[in-house]
Amino acid sequence: MSRVVRIVLVLATLPALHFLLQVGFGAGRWAPDLLTLALLLVAREMRMSSAALTGLVLGLLEDAFSILAFGANAAAMAILGVLGARSRDLFVGESVLFHLGYLFLGGWIRAILHWTFSGEGARTGFREVFLLEGPVDALWMAVAGLLVLVLVGGLRPEPGRS
Amino acid sequence: MPPFDPELTEREGRRELLLAGLVVAAAVALVLLPVQVQQWMSSSLRSTVLAPFVLTQDVLQQARARTLELDEIQARLDSTTVLLAVQAPLREENLRLRSLLDLAERAGPSFVPAEAIRPGTRGSESMFLLDVGTRDGVSRDDPVISDRGLVGSIREVGPTTSQAMDWTHPDFQVGAMTLDGENFGLVEPRRGSFREEDRLLLNGIPFHTALPEGMEVVTSGLGVAYPRGIRIGRILSLAEAEAGWRRGYWLEPAVQPGQVTHVLVLTGESGRPESDWTYLWASELEVLRARQDTLRILEAEADSATVLRNRADSLFMEVERLRSAADALLPDTLDVLDPNTGVDPGPDAGNDDGDPDPQVEP
Repeated sequence: MSRVVRIVLVLATLPALHFLLQVGFGAGRWAPDLLTLALLLVAREMRMSSAALTGLVLGLLEDAFSILAFGANAAAMAILGVLGARSRDLFVGESVLFHLGYLFLGGWIRAILHWTFSGEGARTGFREVFLLEGPVDALWMAVAGLLVLVLVGGLRPEPGRS
Repeated sequence: MPPFDPELTEREGRRELLLAGLVVAAAVALVLLPVQVQQWMSSSLRSTVLAPFVLTQDVLQQARARTLELDEIQARLDSTTVLLAVQAPLREENLRLRSLLDLAERAGPSFVPAEAIRPGTRGSESMFLLDVGTRDGVSRDDPVISDRGLVGSIREVGPTTSQAMDWTHPDFQVGAMTLDGENFGLVEPRRGSFREEDRLLLNGIPFHTALPEGMEVVTSGLGVAYPRGIRIGRILSLAEAEAGWRRGYWLEPAVQPGQVTHVLVLTGESGRPESDWTYLWASELEVLRARQDTLRILEAEADSATVLRNRADSLFMEVERLRSAADALLPDTLDVLDPNTGVDPGPDAGNDDGDPDPQVEP
């Protein structure tokens, strides 16, 4: 599967699935954060500005259901997009462990960024986000991410690449 | 979307960095936008791109309701064992809807029934969507109630949908009073360590007033948003007491927002503070009982005050008795002491050469 097809596929299906699960079925924490997962997966394949823009759009969609901290998701996701694209220059890997670590770290950072941009009244305690909710949600998302990578062939090295 | 090209020149790299910076700045600027603009943006997104997902939940809820009805019909035909196994959640749902229906019938046509939908996305914890809007007569700040009491109020209204906040929202505040109408205060939420621990606090109760546990608290109608008499919760325990002037009480909320699926919106005049819905939840007998409880407390306080006064009277009499006894024991010379020097002038009073009385020498 070519890179562009993979990006389009991930960006078309995962956000739709995310809103279907969260808004449609009201799954809450039982469903992994597929919106962040989509961004983290495509950010490593995009330029920094495109990844930031993708993060902004995806975050804005999630902010449509937020009256407590509008814009917090957009800002967090835009920064996460930049970090995801930038991570490509710093870390290279195709292994399961690498992807698991990358997605887990990305999910955790996203939770902390969202906490940072949320208003004072909308926040839960930093310790809960930093030590409990953030890591658990990030781990759940990373596991789901591995499954997605297997499905779209992201774990296998592409022909011609070492 | 351009595919990733690792071979960027230095100039392109700088441009990328600048563009990314601009996008991030625009994202951060969203947080700082005026609330009206933010609401307009979120409302636009919900009614366009995200409308199918909201609709999905609506359809699913209706399908779930139909399934429940079907299950109920089937359950009548099934054996008693199967009926018992399946009917428990249905009965609960049924009871909830029935009580809501009863409430709506008692309240009249100004109460608009609606389904509450919770998005479940990050940052949407204290809000829910309703499938009624301006076409149904709903307007901003209309109170939202369930069969158990106050849920919250409307924040944004569209033609067919609206967005409401529940009592866990930090901006939530409501003027409150005890059911007997004797004590007034302000109810506001207090954030717990987890969202499930969010609680209500009744503040501003005069320090000399002690409210008994279990006493019903309702809206007072003194604010600008909520009518009088909507059930808020019951007194749970004393939360804080600022020495000498006020007390605060934890409340057991009448409604747990997470469990609410069907609500009523008080529209038009019925939702204004001038309306009184005291007898919608509480019967006259309950109000009377609450007043009797208060009377009992006041009587007990009055009894305590009487006992204290009697004790003070007896102490005063004891002091008087002791004083008169002391007066009797004092020497007569005390009566003739010089009021200026406190010294007995003696038999030679008026003679400057006379020695002072040795008895009064220090």
